[in-house]
Order: sequence, then C-alpha cells, then structure tokens
Amino acid sequence: MVSEVSAPPKSASLVGALVGNNQIVLVAALVVICVGISLAVPQFYSSANIIAILRQVAMVLIVACGMTMLLITAEVDLSVGASLAFVGVVAMDVINVTDSVFLGALAGIAFGALVGLVNGLIVTRLKVNSLIATIGTMMILQGGVFLYSREAIQNHHHLPSFVDIGAGYVGPVPIPVIVAAVIFIASYVVLRHTTLGRYLFAVGANEKTARLSGLRTTWLKLFAFVLTGALVGVAGLILGSLMNAGQPTAGRGFELTVIAAVILGGTSLSGGRGTLIGTLLGVFVLKVIDDGIIVLQWNQDLQMIVPGVVLIAAIYLDILRRRADAR
Amino acid sequence: MPAEAATAAVAETAAPLPLEMTGIGKHFPGVIALDNVDLSLEAGKVHALMGENGAGKSTLIKILAGVYGKDTGTIRIAGRETSIASPGDALRQGIKVVFQEIALISEFTVAENIFLEQYPTGRSGSINWKKIRQDARALFERIGFDVDTNARTGALPISQQQMVEIARALAHEARIVVMDEPTSSLTPAEVALLFTVIRRLTALGIAVIYVSHKLDEVFEIADTVTVLRDGRHISTRPIGEHTHDTLIQDMIGRQIDDLFPRSRGQASGKVALSVKGVATEKLRDVTFDVYAGEVLGFFGLMGAGRTELAKAIVGFDPIDKGTIEIGGRPLHPHDTRTAVSLGIGLLTEDRKGEGLMLDLPVVYNLSLAALGSFARGGFIDETAEREAAQGYVDRFRIRTPSLFQEIKNLSGGNQQKVLLARWLLRGLSVIVVDEPTRGIDVGAKQEIFALIDQLAADGHAIVMMTSEMPELLGLSDRVMVMGEGRITGSFSRDEATQEKILNAAIV
Amino acid sequence: MPQSSSIAARSGSQVTDTFATLGRRQEIALVLSIFALIAFFSFTSDYFFTVRNLTNVLGQGSLVMIAGIGVAIVFMSGEVDISVGSLQAAVAIPLIEVMNATGNLWLGLAAALLLGLIVGVINGYLSAYVGINSLIVTLGMLFILRGGVYLYTGKTAIPDDAYLESFFVIGNERFLGVVPYPALIALILLLGFMYVMSHRPFGRKVYAVGGNAEVARLAGFPVKRVKFTCFIISSVMATISGILLASRLGSAVHLAGIGFEFQVVAAVVLGGVSLSGGVGSLLGMALGVLILAFMSNGLGMLDLPTEWQLVITGIIIIIAVAFDEMKRRRAG
Repeated sequence: MVSEVSAPPKSASLVGALVGNNQIVLVAALVVICVGISLAVPQFYSSANIIAILRQVAMVLIVACGMTMLLITAEVDLSVGASLAFVGVVAMDVINVTDSVFLGALAGIAFGALVGLVNGLIVTRLKVNSLIATIGTMMILQGGVFLYSREAIQNHHHLPSFVDIGAGYVGPVPIPVIVAAVIFIASYVVLRHTTLGRYLFAVGANEKTARLSGLRTTWLKLFAFVLTGALVGVAGLILGSLMNAGQPTAGRGFELTVIAAVILGGTSLSGGRGTLIGTLLGVFVLKVIDDGIIVLQWNQDLQMIVPGVVLIAAIYLDILRRRADAR
Repeated sequence: MPAEAATAAVAETAAPLPLEMTGIGKHFPGVIALDNVDLSLEAGKVHALMGENGAGKSTLIKILAGVYGKDTGTIRIAGRETSIASPGDALRQGIKVVFQEIALISEFTVAENIFLEQYPTGRSGSINWKKIRQDARALFERIGFDVDTNARTGALPISQQQMVEIARALAHEARIVVMDEPTSSLTPAEVALLFTVIRRLTALGIAVIYVSHKLDEVFEIADTVTVLRDGRHISTRPIGEHTHDTLIQDMIGRQIDDLFPRSRGQASGKVALSVKGVATEKLRDVTFDVYAGEVLGFFGLMGAGRTELAKAIVGFDPIDKGTIEIGGRPLHPHDTRTAVSLGIGLLTEDRKGEGLMLDLPVVYNLSLAALGSFARGGFIDETAEREAAQGYVDRFRIRTPSLFQEIKNLSGGNQQKVLLARWLLRGLSVIVVDEPTRGIDVGAKQEIFALIDQLAADGHAIVMMTSEMPELLGLSDRVMVMGEGRITGSFSRDEATQEKILNAAIV
Repeated sequence: MPQSSSIAARSGSQVTDTFATLGRRQEIALVLSIFALIAFFSFTSDYFFTVRNLTNVLGQGSLVMIAGIGVAIVFMSGEVDISVGSLQAAVAIPLIEVMNATGNLWLGLAAALLLGLIVGVINGYLSAYVGINSLIVTLGMLFILRGGVYLYTGKTAIPDDAYLESFFVIGNERFLGVVPYPALIALILLLGFMYVMSHRPFGRKVYAVGGNAEVARLAGFPVKRVKFTCFIISSVMATISGILLASRLGSAVHLAGIGFEFQVVAAVVLGGVSLSGGVGSLLGMALGVLILAFMSNGLGMLDLPTEWQLVITGIIIIIAVAFDEMKRRRAG
C-alpha cells in the first residue's frame, strides 16, 4: 500500500478498519509503548533519555532512509553493518594521517559509497541476486576490516571536532539528530515529490515496464545502492565519533536492525511499495523498545528478542489486513 | 486396462454420459462469469466450446478442473452427481485439463512429468524410475507420438509439451480431456499432428472438450459445438447444422463490421518508422516502412518472430544488424530511453509482466513515461499530472473508482486503455501494439479498436502485431506476414484475404 | 569422498538423465576445483596432503554440511532459512542443561531436538501457511533465538558437567580412529537425503514446488505442507549440527554459530542450489562445502591471517553465482 503517496484505501471490513493502515498501527503501538514505559518509569520522559533515544534513532534512520529506497527498487543490502565498521576505521586512519577531520569524513563517506557502487555493479552487471551478492560483500568487508587493522584505531591527534560529529550539540539538539533529520527530509522529498523518487518505485514495481517506458533502470538501481552506501558512510562516521575510534568489530547485526525497521515500516521486500514515514516509525518503535528495556532495567538481551517478535507480528498483522481488504 | 475400458465404453452406448453440467453459475466480484450454463459430453466425441474472450469458456473449464468452485448448478460424472474440490480431485475423477499455459515442471524430464501426480513406487516406497521411463514410452506409443522421454521438459517446443500433457491424461486413465486453445501456438503441421492424436483419444472412448475460437479447426475436429457469450449458454448443435456464418453469429451476436469502426482516411505519405535489414537471433533481414496515419498489421504464427520484432524496434532487445529510423532520425539499438524520446514505444502483449505496475495507482501507471513533462527541476507538478491523467480517463472512458485505485483492481480492458494512454501522454509518433486485445472482453475490444483507429486518424503510425485474423483484416491498412523471422508476404488492405495471408504465413 | 560421489552421480543419472547432464557438468566442475585446491595446497604445505589433515577437513566441514542439507532443501522448495546459526547455539542449552540435570545423553538429545522441532514448526507455519516472506520470518527467528540464548546464559558458556563419555565421542572422536564421527554422521545424512530427494515422492515434490508452485498445486501437491516440512528438516539438521558443536566445545556457548548461517548459504549457493528454487542437488551442496573447507584449511596453513578465508569465501560466492547466472542466460 503506497499510502504515503496514494489516497487512503477504503477499508471494507471491520478487521480492515481496525488495522486499516500500517502506519496507524505503528503510531498506536508507539503510543502504547511510550505510555506503558512511562507509567512504570517516569524518568522515561527526562530530556536526557529522550536525547539518548533520538541519538539511537538517528544512527539507524540515516541508513534506513537509503535502505528504504533500495528495497523500493526491489533490492537489498546486507553489507551495511560490515561496511559501517570499515567506514569508521578508514575515516579514523585518514584523520590520523592527514590531521584533517574533513578529509577523514570525506574518505569515510566515499568509502561507504564505493562499497555501495561495488554492490550495485555486482547486482546490475553480473546479475547476482542482491541478497547473495551482499552476503558476499559482507564477508569480504568483515574479513577485510581485520586485515586492514586488527585493533581499534584511536583518535591519535585527539581532534575534538571529530568527537563533535557524534557527541556534539547545536543548542539542545545532538548533531547526529540534525544530520538524520536533514537526510530524512531530503529523502522524503525525493521519494515523494520528484521524478527520481517515482522512478525508483517504478523500477521496483516492474523493471521491464520501467525499461520499456524509457527509464534507465540499471542507473536507478545503482543510485539506490550508492546512496545507501554513502549513508552508511555518514552513520559510520557518527559511530566512530561516538567511540572516538575506528573499531573493526563495530556494526555487528546493524544490517538486521536497519532492515527490520524498514520492513516494520511497511516497505515490501518485493519492491515497489514503501514509505519513509513508515520507516521513521519503524525505527522509533524498535529504538523506543530498546530504550524501554534499559530504563525498565530489564535484561538487555531482550533487545534482540523483542525486535524479532515485533517484526514478525507486524508483518502478520499486515497480511491479515490485506486479506481483509481483499474480501 | 484403459484399452478394455475404451472398448467397453464404445460398446455400451446406453451407458450414462461421461459428463453432464447443468445450470452452472459463477460470479466474481462485480462480474457474472457464468450464468446458468449447461454442457454435456458423449464418450468418444469431440465437443467444441466456443466463444469470444470473456465469454466464460475458461471459467467453465476451470470449474471442471477444480481450480474454481461453482456457485450454482450440478455436475454429473458418468451419471453420478459429484463435486470437484481441487485439481487433484478432478484428475481422480477422470478429468484432465490441458491448459494453454502448460502445467509441467520445466526442470523435470518428460517421463517424470507424466507421473507427477502418482509416482509409481516399489514396496519400500522408493520411486520406480525404470517403470516410469518404460510406462512413459508405452503411453507415447499409444498416442502415436515420438518424443525423448528423458528430455528436460522445458527444452521441448510447446507442441510437444502438449503431447506430454495428453500422455499424462492417459496415464491417469482420464475419461474426459479438455484442451484449452491448444493450437494458439502451433504451426499447421503441429496442428495436424494434434488432431491425429485427438482422434486417437476419441477412438479410445475418451470425451474431448475442445476450447477454441478458431472456426476452421472446429469444423475439422468437432462433433458438437456449444457457444457461450457473455457468460451465457447460446447454443449447442451438431457441427453439421452450423455454417461459418451461423457460428460467428452465435459467438459475436452482431455483425462483424460493427467491431471495426473506421473513421480515418488515407494515410499521409510521411514515413514515420523505417526499418532496414534488421536481424537478430530470431529475425532475418526485416525491412519495412510505416507511414504516419496508418495501421500496419503484422501477422504470423507462433514463433514467427512478431514479438521479437516488436521488442527489437522499440530498443528493448539488441539487434545484430540493420538500422531503425524514427521520423528520419536513427535509433540506437537496445536503448529504450532514446527510442521513447524519439517517439516510439511498445504496448506489450504481456500486460502483467511488462506493462503494468500492479501495486501502483492508475495515475502513476498512466503518467510513467511522460513524467518528465510534468516536472520542473525534478519536482513533479502533481496537479498537472492528475489533470492530464483524468483527461485520458475521461476521454478513453477508463472505468476506475479513482485515479488512486491500484491498477491491479481494474479489468483487462481498462488496464489496456491506461497503458495506451501512457504512450499518448508521452506524445509518441509510432506505437507498436502487440496482441492489443489479448485477455480483453468483447465490449472493451471494440473500444480498443476504436481507439487504435482514432490514433491513426490523428496521424499516429501504428504497428500492430496480431494472431487474430479478424483483428488484422478489420484494422490494418496494410498487412505484413511473417514466418520464421522473415517477412514472407505484404498485402494492401484490398488484396488481403485470410487465404493469402495464411499461405504466406506457412513457410 | 570419490566413491560416494560416483554413487550419487549414477543415481542422479537415473533420475533425470538429460537434465542431470547439465547439473552434472556443474558437479564435475566442483570436483575439479576440489582437486585443483588439493593439488595447490599439497604443493604449498607438506602437512596438507596427509590422511590426518584431510580427515580433519572433513570433520571441519561436516557441521556446515549437515546444516547445509536442510538449508539446501529449503532453497530447493523456493524459500530461505537464515535462522540456523542462532538455532545451533540455542539447542545446546536444553541439551547441556538436561544432561547436567539427568546425566542422560538421550534425554538431552531429545530436549535439543524438541527445541529444534518447535523452531521448525514456527518458521514453517509462518512462512508456508501464513505466507510471510521466509527471509523475514527466519531473520526474526535469528534475532529471537540469539537474544534468548544471551538472556538464558547471561552471555557466558554453560559447561557440560555431566561428562558423558558418549557425548564427548560424537563430536571429538574418530570412527575406527580415522573418520571423525561428525563427518560420518554428515555422510550418512547426506546419502540419506540424496536418496530422499531423488527417489522418494517427497523429494520430487520439493523440487516441483520450488520449480513451479502453481503447477505443483494443479498436480494436487500440498504445496504448503511440503514447504512446511522443508523448514522442519532444516531446523532438525541445524539441531544436529548444534549438538555436534556443543560436544566439540564441551559446553553451550552463547556466541556459537554467529555467522554460521552465512557459511551455510555460501556453501549451498556455491554448490549450485539456486535461491529461486527448483534446481540444484545435495551433492553439489556437499561439494561446495568441501571446497570451502579445503580452502579454509589450506589457507590456514599458508600463514595467512584467518580473515582471508572470509574475504575469499565472499568473493567465491559472488563469482559462483555470477557464473551460474551467465550460464542460465546463455541457455535461455
């Protein structure tokens, strides 16, 4: 359901009306979770905690914006977690060599984009299924980052401006949140209001149709891969900055969190369907749950279980809703 | 066993009919597909089931095949009232339907496909491959057809895959075999062979339902004809009581001229598309010109290369040799982007696979190719987009509840109109239409014909690929015939007759 | 291995002669690559081509092979299962806990198997009957099981305190002093399932369902039940590999099997089993496992950092699938 761009679908039945729209379900879930947690732990609403949540959301959201577009074109990238770690290491190394945060950041983003380009070329030129292709590049990156540097690369020059990328503030707002907001809004506008966005939907909905209509399908898919890669670069910088180091072991499982959030937001794995608002909500649901588990002082290992359950439950509901609609 | 059963069935003429369907009704949301339809078969006879697309033929046989359930009516098999719950159930009750889209696992061997439903197993439950191979060969001997039973099924031509399906029917001792438009992709030689095999089936006492809309074939093979129209039973008569005209009358219910309105005059002398010496793996030295304001019809049997030609000249598939010019400007081969910008596009025969974005709304489907014209700096002016789309929805009378309806919910005819509108909105000068009325009901067909006529009248050049003779003769200003990838005949509207065209098509 | 592959090739040829020649050509290519690898590494290391080392390789590859049987069958049915790594870690917990509590190996095995079955039922039900994309289902399951393991173990290993001789033997000893038991078990399972896939109606139904679900439905096959069963097989196979791993490690380790699913998928894909279903053979999968195992073993002896294995495996997967695609496109 492209409800972000199409008129709201009419819900024919009671079930359809109840779970009429994936996003409404997510908003409701979010409200229930927030209220539930805050009843138990009032300091959930403390500004410190809210900022902590936002910072967590920011990291995932940045990459999820790219991943949403990629899934809309009916491709997927599982290498984002491995790339995330590598980006931090590369950026830190370049900073140490050049003594320039700008060059380091540039190198990090360029590295991420390069990974995206390689993924995209393997998928579009060699016609390798993107799931398999990016499992391959994930392995290459996971191994490669250790071959590059066995240990974490520290911020040798102790440049404070690098730390600011992840830990700094503009007024009360953390810099990563601002970065994420800018990226989100830009992505939203592109997907919703531009020809590029519409073409991404077209390629994912039916690649042959898109090509017969004169679209450059290969180029469009490459764009989505490179964009996702570059956004991994941005997120990798933030992560590196928060740790003030390039940590080769960082980012394990990050790809799964990102994909879970995007799918939770209603984007289809088979392409042509998806919304960024949904993705935003998906990221929030997962990260608020994460945070709730911490403030409730539950066992943090629940942070792995809950997203899995939420993900499957959400898709289940979506299927129920679609069946109700079809009736 | 089947041999004895066959003689028994032939001998016992008083035996109950193999199949009686009475008062069958079926509706889908918004459509009455079948309304009180009767059909009964005699053992050892071929019963033709005829009607235009959308007449209800395929719904009826799908009920028989257990794919759909019926809403009303009764089914008797060999005199016993029964219901058909699933495809497997149909087969158990002796009904084998050979669908147009062959239902075989293409990665399996011929022999294995024949015994798909019931692998012969030994005492341990292991599959007896030796028996499968032997029995498969024996079955093919019985229907008098030679095929490599160890071949990968997907590697065989459609005609042979049909024979595999028929052998499968025999393997299950089917008493009723339904053939759904079996000749739509066969060469004349293959058709002849198929008819020989069908006669062998009837000699075995099997009742055959032959679904088709091709008159000549029906006159050749059928004993009885039932005609459906708009989901209703129109007539059931022995073939001897029919002439071509009465059959057409029954099928269409009106004069054929009504279908093909003609508002346009003479084509201009301006060459819109010029194709010279185009060759690909499937095409050989194809050369022709199309003028603005005319409909150039291409006819050919399956495998003649029509769709290949269509895809090559719109830049979808690569070409090995030759040149293509649109309005005098050369087209880069294998490049749909410049093709569309030069003004040529394809209305595909495969709507689902290559035309529609099923999950997306009507307006997105309609505006896809012309989106650039509604954009400034990459931003879409959505108001303008919607107005333009609404314009076409009104003009083409596209029946949709809203512009934002997902296109998969529209009927085939309305989907086709949206796809045609997609190209007009883009402002193409040459439109290549491939089987423009495939899977479209009669009413919408007429509208599509009228639209194509109107487009030519407006000065578009139309290249129409079709396997439907009435469509070809009714719509074309000139006719080109293809066979084995070459152009084998070229006729003006006045010269073109069914006979000449078929002669040219058979290479 | 050579004699077992010839048995398989013969039985394969009886099944689907002309079709098999295509598949067999791929298997021959895989066998040749194995010989090339063996030749290369024998040259670079004196120790490589010894009975001890070659059987070691079999032992190392056996866990991937066992889980690979299940994952390959799921792939053949047109679905995916990436929960096997987490399941491998998860089943060790009931296994070790029950053995520690009762001192009985069989009860422990039963407990592990029960968990495996439950996971298989859930994966299969949600994927086959509810119709949720199996990638999502098993991705969710991967999270849930790993989280569950962390939660239960508190992120430490649970040691085997029962010290059952028989439990130690299955993961660590060698049959007749030569063949590691895991390799023997893998071989038996492999031959058994190769038989099932080519000589039992169920196996053929798996191929049919993966090759063309619509046709399979028209042929009266219970498409959903076939897929469901495939998920259960996959979970049970992962459970067996998890049991062997626990025996080898002598404990239930919370980090066990991380990334294992990707190794398995790599071997399966390298062996020519396509993600789109309906094609490939278990023999191919097994050869894929061997190639990766020899590669890993040989590289280990080259004094190269172990991460090279990951990198090279990644490259091999991409190249293997790219070649496969090219071949298929050329074939039309």
